[in-house]
Amino acid sequence: MNTHTIDTGTPVIPADAYDTTVFYADADAIATVTNTTAPDAVALPCQDASTAELLAAAQEAGHRAVPAPLAETALVARPLLRRAGLPVPDGPLSYAIAPELTIRYAHPAASPVGSAGCLGHDDSLLVTGTLRRVPWARAATAVVVLATAPSGPVLFTLTPDQAILTPGGNLAEEPRDDLHLAPLEIPAAQVRRISPELLDEARLRAALARSALIAGAAERCVDLTVAHTTARTQFGRPLSRFQAVKQEEARLIEEAALVRAAVHAAAAPLDTGGAAAHFTVAAAKTQASASAAEVTRIAHQLHGAIGITRLNPLHLATTRLWSWRDEDGDETYWAHRLARPLTATALWPTLTTTP
Amino acid sequence: MSPSTPSPIAFPDIVLPESARRLRAEVRAFLDEERARGTVLGRPDSWLAGWDDGFSRRLAERGWVGMALPTEYGGAGRGFLERYVVIEELLAAGAPVSAHWVSDRQAGPSILQHGTEEQRRFFLPEIAAGQCFFSIGMSEKSSGSDLASVSTRAQRTTDGWRLTGTKMWTGGAHVNDYAIVLARTDDAEDRHAGLSQFIVDLRAPGVRVEPIHLMSGEHRFNAVHLEGVDVPDGMLLGQQGDGWKQVTGELAFERSGPERYLSTFPLLISLLRELEQRPPTAEQLTQVGVLTARLHSIRRLSLGVAAALDAGSAPDTQAALVKDLGTRLEGTLTDTVRSILPTPADPHATPGTHPELLAFALLHSPGYTLRGGTNEILRGIITRGLEQRR
Repeated sequence: MNTHTIDTGTPVIPADAYDTTVFYADADAIATVTNTTAPDAVALPCQDASTAELLAAAQEAGHRAVPAPLAETALVARPLLRRAGLPVPDGPLSYAIAPELTIRYAHPAASPVGSAGCLGHDDSLLVTGTLRRVPWARAATAVVVLATAPSGPVLFTLTPDQAILTPGGNLAEEPRDDLHLAPLEIPAAQVRRISPELLDEARLRAALARSALIAGAAERCVDLTVAHTTARTQFGRPLSRFQAVKQEEARLIEEAALVRAAVHAAAAPLDTGGAAAHFTVAAAKTQASASAAEVTRIAHQLHGAIGITRLNPLHLATTRLWSWRDEDGDETYWAHRLARPLTATALWPTLTTTP
Repeated sequence: MSPSTPSPIAFPDIVLPESARRLRAEVRAFLDEERARGTVLGRPDSWLAGWDDGFSRRLAERGWVGMALPTEYGGAGRGFLERYVVIEELLAAGAPVSAHWVSDRQAGPSILQHGTEEQRRFFLPEIAAGQCFFSIGMSEKSSGSDLASVSTRAQRTTDGWRLTGTKMWTGGAHVNDYAIVLARTDDAEDRHAGLSQFIVDLRAPGVRVEPIHLMSGEHRFNAVHLEGVDVPDGMLLGQQGDGWKQVTGELAFERSGPERYLSTFPLLISLLRELEQRPPTAEQLTQVGVLTARLHSIRRLSLGVAAALDAGSAPDTQAALVKDLGTRLEGTLTDTVRSILPTPADPHATPGTHPELLAFALLHSPGYTLRGGTNEILRGIITRGLEQRR
C-alpha cells in the first residue's frame, strides 16, 4: 500500500489527511473494501438490497473513490445475471455491453434447438474478439457479457484468466482492461439467450450506476471545496468570505444537487422499466456527464494550486468525474436517446411521467 | 436513498398524492377547453405577462385558485403538491395566470398565516373565487436586494395608519385590487425590527399608480406612490414590527415554484414544433436532450422543496438553490434555442410564431435572474446554508 510523503520524508500533510487506501488501487485495497469486516469499508451491499439502497451505496462509493467495482457489481452485473437466470458468483464482477465480437455456436448443428430464454441442447459459444476497457477486469471474479449471437441477444460469463488481459486505466487510474478472446469456447452452462429488452436494461443499469458514482464524486468536490475555502485564509480572512468565491461555490453546490436529484429520480423507474426508465436514466446520465465539467472546473479553481497535486485528495474525485462522464455513454449519446422520441406534444407529458 | 454521508443540502423524497394524476388530467382537459376558446396561447412568462381576469375566474370555479386554503375560507383544502401539479400544468401551457398569481402564491397563504379572523373571512373567499387580485409592495427605488432598508413610513393615526412613500416594480398595481405593503412603523435600532405589513386598497384616496414600461414597451410594472394613504387598523397584516419575519417566511414559497424554471418552456415547445419540419441535426438533438435533462432535474429539486413545504418545514436554502438553477436555465434555454435554430427574433411577426416567441422570451430574459431576489444574493444564502450545516 502506498503511503504519501515527499522526497525529504517529511509529510507535507498528515498521513491521515485522507485515506491512502483509495489512492492507488491494488489487490489489498480491493479486498479491504469488498470485505465487510474492514472497519472503514464500503461493503458490497447484500443481494436483496433495493435499487434505491444500491444507488445510495454507489453514490457513497463515488464519494470515497472506492477502489473496487462496487457499483458495477451491485447495480449491473449481479442483477443482470439474476435476470438471465445464471448463478451469481461471489466477489467483484464486471461487465461488457454489446462489445464487437464474432460469435458463433461451437456446435452449429445443435444450435437451432434452444428457444429464447431457455437453454438449448447445446448453446456453447465460440467467441472471438476483444472486450475493450472492461472496468476492473483484472480484479473481477467474472465478467458478464451481453452480445448478439446468430440466434439473437445472449448473456454469458467468462473469467478474466480465460482471456489475454492487456492492462489499461482511466484518468483516475482505475483499471480499464482489454480482454482478448482468441477464440474462447463458452460452455452452454454459462450462456443464456436473453430478450432485447434485457440488453437495453443493461445499458440503463450501467448508465445509472455510473451516474450515481458521478453524484458521489461531485458531492466529494463540494465537501472538499467548502472545507478548503473555510480553512484557507488569504488577505486575513477565509476564502469563503470573499463574494467572488461564494458565487462560484454556490454554483458548485447547485450543480452537485442537480446530479443527485437526477439520479434519485431514476431509482424507482429503473425497477418498473418501460418509457419512464428510459427517460429518467437517460436524463440522469446526460445531467451527470454534462455537470462534470462545471463541478470539476469550480472545485479546482477554488482549491488553487494544492488541488492540482497529489498532496490533496481533490484529484480522486475530479479525475474520476472526467472519466466517468464518458463511460457507459457520454452526455451526447444519452442526450440523443433522450431527445429522439420527443415532439412538441410529447415533451411535457414525458417530463411529468414521474412522479 | 440515504447515503451514510448525509447530503449537505437535503431534499426530501417526493411522493405525489394519489389524487395528483387525476388532477393533472382534469387540468389538461380544462386547458384544452381554454385553448379552443383562444385564451391559452403557449406564451413565455405568462405568470408575469398573461393578465386575464376571466381566465382566473374560470380557473377559480374549478377550485384551482387558492386551492391550498382551508375549505372554511372558500379554498379547496388541498396540499402544496396538488397545487404544484396545477400551476406547473398552467405554466407549461403558457396560460394567462398573472391576475391571480400573487393572490394565490403569497397573499392567500400570508393572510391565512398572519391575518386576523376578520381579514381571513373577508379576503380568502374572494381570493379563492378569483375575484380579488393582489400585488406586492416591497421594493423601493433605494431598496432592492437590501429590502430591510425600505423607507416607506406608516404613521399612527387615531384609528389606523397613514402610509407615505413610493413602492417600485409593483406588478399589476394598475389592474389589481390590493397590495401588501412593507412599511416602517418604528425607527428601531435593529432595522429589521421596525417593519410591518399592511393590506392597502389600490383604489384608496392617496394611491397614485404610475406606469413603468418594460424595455419591450409592455406595461406590467408600476411605481405606486402612497401619498398619505389612510389604512384602517384592521388592515395591519400580522403583528406590528413583525414585517421582516413575515416577509422572509414567504421566501421559500416565492422562490422554489415551477415559475422559476418554466418561464421560457413554451419556447422549447415552439422549437420542437419547428424541428418536426425536417430531420434534426446531431447538435439539435444534443442540445434538446441536455436542456430536457436539466429541466427534469431542476423540476425534481423544485418538487423536493414543495414536499418539504408540505411537510411543514422552511427550506429557504434549498429554495434559493432552485431559483438560481431554474432562472439561469430560463435564460440558457432562450440562448440555446436561438443558437441551434438560427432565427432572427421578430417582435412584429405573427403572435405565437417562433420568431415572435423568441423575441418575447429574449426581451423578458434579463428579468428572470432578478425578480424574487437577485441570484447573486441567493448564492450567498446557499453558501451560508451549507456552512451552517457543517
